[in-house]
Amino acid sequence: MTRNSRRLVSVLAAATIATSMAACGGDDDSDGGGGGGGGGGTAEDNEATGPGMTEDTVTIGSHYPLTGRAAPGYSEIPTGVQAYFDYVNANGGVYDRQIEWVYRDDGYNPTNTSTVVRELVLEEEVFAIMGGLGTPTHNAVLDFLNTEEVPDLFVSSGSSLWDDPENLPYTFGWQTDYESEGKIIGQYIAEEFPDAKVGLFLQDDDFGEDGERGVRQYLDDDQIVEVQTYTSGNIDVGPQIAALQASGADFVLGFNTPPYTALTQLAARDLNYTPQWWYSNVGSAPDLVGSLLGAFSQGAVSGASALAGIYTTSYIPTVDQVDDPWIQLFQRIWDESGQEGVLTNTRVYGMSMAYTMVQALQAAGRNPTGDDLVAAVEEAGADWQGPAFTPFRYSSDRHAGISGMSVVQFNAEGVGEPKTPLLVTDTGDAEIEEYDGEPIAPPESGIPDEEAVG
Amino acid sequence: MEQFISLTLGGVVNGSVYAAFALALVLIWRSTRIVNFAQGSMAAATTFIAVAVIDAGGSYWLALVVALLSGLVMGALIERVVIRPVEGGPELNAVIVTLGLFVAIQGIVALVAGVDERAFVPPFSTVGYEVREGFTLLSLSRNSIWTVGAVLVTMLALIALFRFTRLGLAMRASAFGQEVARLLGVRVGRMLTLGWALAAAVGALAGMLIAGDVSFIGPTFMDTLIVFGFVAAVLGGLDSPIGAVVGGLLLGLALNYVRGYLDDSLLGMAALVILVVVLLVRPGGLFSTTAARRA
Repeated sequence: MTRNSRRLVSVLAAATIATSMAACGGDDDSDGGGGGGGGGGTAEDNEATGPGMTEDTVTIGSHYPLTGRAAPGYSEIPTGVQAYFDYVNANGGVYDRQIEWVYRDDGYNPTNTSTVVRELVLEEEVFAIMGGLGTPTHNAVLDFLNTEEVPDLFVSSGSSLWDDPENLPYTFGWQTDYESEGKIIGQYIAEEFPDAKVGLFLQDDDFGEDGERGVRQYLDDDQIVEVQTYTSGNIDVGPQIAALQASGADFVLGFNTPPYTALTQLAARDLNYTPQWWYSNVGSAPDLVGSLLGAFSQGAVSGASALAGIYTTSYIPTVDQVDDPWIQLFQRIWDESGQEGVLTNTRVYGMSMAYTMVQALQAAGRNPTGDDLVAAVEEAGADWQGPAFTPFRYSSDRHAGISGMSVVQFNAEGVGEPKTPLLVTDTGDAEIEEYDGEPIAPPESGIPDEEAVG
Repeated sequence: MEQFISLTLGGVVNGSVYAAFALALVLIWRSTRIVNFAQGSMAAATTFIAVAVIDAGGSYWLALVVALLSGLVMGALIERVVIRPVEGGPELNAVIVTLGLFVAIQGIVALVAGVDERAFVPPFSTVGYEVREGFTLLSLSRNSIWTVGAVLVTMLALIALFRFTRLGLAMRASAFGQEVARLLGVRVGRMLTLGWALAAAVGALAGMLIAGDVSFIGPTFMDTLIVFGFVAAVLGGLDSPIGAVVGGLLLGLALNYVRGYLDDSLLGMAALVILVVVLLVRPGGLFSTTAARRA
């Protein structure tokens, strides 16, 4: 039987790959349009500089869970990226190069991540990896990418692992790190709910640990009455929620992925357990959670209002902010892209990151190597403005992304209402401060215009 | 004490779900001596057929009947078309074919139904009974009683089939010695087809119960349960419906205690440790019969 189970494991892996091929059949349709448009001066000619950077194309690769337990919501991110890159390509690309976007399904399984990222680097010969999703998954390819000297930009995870320029010179974070988020959440609860008995519900890896470390900087140990963890993939969270209920916690803070937001809400309903809920940014996908939970309430709760009253945090605009100029831009780009489905927060996330990627490619100059791209992010990244509410922390000795966020509470219509101004902080014992800058509107063209560095 | 009661009841519910899956494996093993690795994706396929019925406005019970019937048809078709050519050859061939089926069926489900997760609403309420103020037994709900009950009834029906009917006897005979059975006038080919059809129907039931238990399903929703179902079946000796159910319950209890008293992340390892220990002590499984009866 042990032989059989080993066989079984490889079959499961094969199955995931097979289904993913079915799932993302259309991911590499380049628009084919000529790149003659407004690419600026032509003092130099385009040259191929190495893998993934030809005269007229630049290939960017990534890994996402497109199938399996972690896929809901996340599988939409690359379609958002695709929409934005298509838009840039239709407007001439970057330095007259079309951006080719190739992504693979890893099913949120680190073993698969290793396989597909090796494929992307060695067979597809990508110029850079962008937005590889997940802490345990991306962790499995850090050494490989840094040994191969492939730029590993903007990992889709707020773990602090990505901010280690000395050992991982090619890897950069993008979103606000979980520890900073935990600090901002912890301070808010300490100030606004000093009497709450807080229970933590954590994914049992760096995601949960980083978040908890941040929260504990501001919440006293005796205010945190219970800590429960879950392993991604185990879908029965009933025992954990029952333990939180038994502990008397009346305020539950979750550092979990979106499907677990739905699962914990269901389990709590079955237990008649009604604490105040707070899900960190990752877990608060109202459209997804609403669609999953809606079926269980026989119409009593519809769509996004399933999360009414729940707190979360926010560092880029969300689709409920219909007046936000970034959301209006992304809505237009999404509609033009002609892909199936509506604009969701996960797609906005993908488009926002793609915007940063275009900034990086512009800053890297006309004929960059991978090292030039890395240098450009280090040199210019801290000054880039875009959809993110607060600046990046990039420099030659920091590879950390967005520096802050604000606290948000969903109202009955599922719209997030800000409860704090924009707050910026950092890992460790950095203070939490109010951000004094203003969010900026997108450029008229919808495409950034960064100067080449160096 | 409250935690112990919670974990025990939860273990019984989870265990009966593993048992349902193990029953389907045992059926095929009993009737054709093949370990059917495709069981999981076959059950996923019939569950998605049921989902289509529900989406079209049908009730859960209509969907359940459709799932069971489509399981019967699918099992019979697969045996006739895919398994028959490799039957009687080396055992490994048949096993490899079922592995291929596993991947192929899962791919087809993903193509037809899409890869997005979707909600699956069980037929009964999953709200736990409140034992006393502030202590709700999550695992004791009307739906969990239905789940456990459905598995027990299925087990009893299968035992009755194999023990008390001529049909069951003929099926057993066909599995143990095809030539002898044929000489005695048993239509062996039909028995094998029937065995697969029945197994797939039981698998379809397992799929429906599991879908109700996990709340959200995608084409791969059976994957995590396949391993536990196999362990349960092997624990029970692969040959006995009672063994499958007892194996499932033991596994469910053990895993729930591991989860409750140790750690969530140890589940997979705990299942394999249990398997190794049982196989070391009783290589034929807990409910193995005498070696002479093993084909």
